[in-house]
Amino acid sequence: MIPTLRAPISAVLLAAFSLSATAEVCVTDDRDREVCLDQSAERIVALSPGATELIWAAGAGDAVVGVVSYSDYPEEAKSVTSVGSHTRVDMEKLLSLKPDLVIAWATGNPKEQTDRLQELGQTLYFTEPRDFDTIASNIERLATLAGTEKAGNERAQTFRAGVDELRERYSDAPPVPVFYQVWDEPLMTINGEHFIHEVVELCGGENVFADLDRLVPRIDRESVLAADPEAIIAGGMGEENRDWLTAWEEYESLTATSRDNLFFVPPSTIQRPTPRLLEGGKTMCKKLEQARDRR
Amino acid sequence: MTGAETLAQKRPVSVAVSPWRPFLPLVWLALFGVLALLLAVAVGSVAIPPAELWAVITGEGSSLHNTLVWELRAPRALAGFATGGLLAMAGALMQILLRNPLADPYVLGVSGGAAVGALAAMLAGTGAFLLSGSAFAGALLSTFLVFGLAHGTGSWTPARLLLTGVVVASGWGAVITLMLAVGPKDKLPGMLYWLMGDLTYAQTPWPALVLLVLVCLLVIPLGRSLNVLARGPLQAAALGVAVRPLEWTIYILASLLTALAVTTAGSIGFVGLVVPHMLRLVLGNDQRLILPACALGGGALLTLADTLARIVIAPEQLPVGVITALLGVPTFLVLLYRSR
Repeated sequence: MIPTLRAPISAVLLAAFSLSATAEVCVTDDRDREVCLDQSAERIVALSPGATELIWAAGAGDAVVGVVSYSDYPEEAKSVTSVGSHTRVDMEKLLSLKPDLVIAWATGNPKEQTDRLQELGQTLYFTEPRDFDTIASNIERLATLAGTEKAGNERAQTFRAGVDELRERYSDAPPVPVFYQVWDEPLMTINGEHFIHEVVELCGGENVFADLDRLVPRIDRESVLAADPEAIIAGGMGEENRDWLTAWEEYESLTATSRDNLFFVPPSTIQRPTPRLLEGGKTMCKKLEQARDRR
Repeated sequence: MTGAETLAQKRPVSVAVSPWRPFLPLVWLALFGVLALLLAVAVGSVAIPPAELWAVITGEGSSLHNTLVWELRAPRALAGFATGGLLAMAGALMQILLRNPLADPYVLGVSGGAAVGALAAMLAGTGAFLLSGSAFAGALLSTFLVFGLAHGTGSWTPARLLLTGVVVASGWGAVITLMLAVGPKDKLPGMLYWLMGDLTYAQTPWPALVLLVLVCLLVIPLGRSLNVLARGPLQAAALGVAVRPLEWTIYILASLLTALAVTTAGSIGFVGLVVPHMLRLVLGNDQRLILPACALGGGALLTLADTLARIVIAPEQLPVGVITALLGVPTFLVLLYRSR
């Protein structure tokens, strides 16, 4: 608020702290809060499957003592103690693990519970990765908190390089109008603010529903027929289940159907804002390239 | 329960012996309530051995156990007890007011108004304090809306109040559905849990507890008039009860109780409908006894249910409404089957 005042004060504080032996680390989380730890985090609880993947990517998987249900990646995460689900955290279980850092999901965990955790003196870091850049910077920031900068920064760098490579390759490719299907009943897609939209654009696609107001809008079949996408990409219920796509096969008038551009991308690689998004991005880019070849 | 029941069966005889004898079931229920509260504090997903629990109570426990017991379990148990008590009392009052055994605290739309207030606060992303305030305001708004509309220009009857309330409640229902349909995806789980009723939202138990005690004290002198009213307004009027003011008092009281209960823990179902009936089956229909019994019995049932909801599939947490129904339905059916 008042930078002229704050700067000298923080300079004094900094000087005072640098004299003491503790190495305090501070980062800014995705809610623009400053999160500080007296020493590197050694007991971490991750309150969303995505946060679990991020902290592992940051190279601090060994320090994770608690996760929530559906934390299924990487494999090691499955054997970590569960503290309930991301919508309802078992507060007792969490406190009993005596964490020094809790990674919360800004829009996924109930506010009542995250507020309560802060009242109880827990240190919370909120994640809310909304694009490639915040995924990478989350990895770096978490690595700073966990004292695993070397591994974390490397991983973030690889991720950024991978994204740049795709961007370079497809930025001049002829655009492909794409409908991305998040859910089947009700039919749901994503608007221009969603990170999946960014993946579509990265591959030279054009999200036909980018202009809708809601992040994950509910739409009807008619609007898909009206938009006539050149490719339909669906996540789906499982890693192999293509059921959602077969429903589109009866609409011969759809360009996507007539050219057989009904594609499946494993949802775990694209619907979670984690480093695996690069993998999903590569898959999607390949599919869109196929769509271009079928013109 | 069996203790309470034998007492109830002896009651006609014992009234002649001592005027306090009929209130003995309250002592049993209070004991049951205390046991439920103790259980709620003693068990959870983290096991605390009895010796350690004693140390915590005497103020010598470890800091983790202190936090678990005093910051998490105790406030939640008390909030559960207060909410259950408020709901059961509100249900009993509504059943007398509307002379309809199907009446529950929510039938006149109080919870609908509160839900709209709470969900609006969630959509706006406000803090927990504003959420409670907004829910309470919604409940009061609904109460006065129904009050004003039922008053209308014509004559006033409980049937008219019931119809007005039910229609207003359906209106709220439509607004809730609309909010759920257009609400952002990430807010939906919180909204649904609130609608199912969930003590995770309980901030502080004190307002609800204080109101519970106050209303208990207030309804005891009203008990006699309520007993007469339960037999019908004509009889009540013939016996010198001011029916209309009494009915409005019941309506406002029941709405206030419901509003605070819903504000504390969302719309928890079942307790308000079934606990009064359950107690009437066992204790008879004397309002002087039933209303305080509802406060104790409803409180004990909800505390017990919430304790189970916390531990049944821990660390996953169940909504408390699931357990209240699973516990209450068989108990109620057994009581109903055995009556007469």
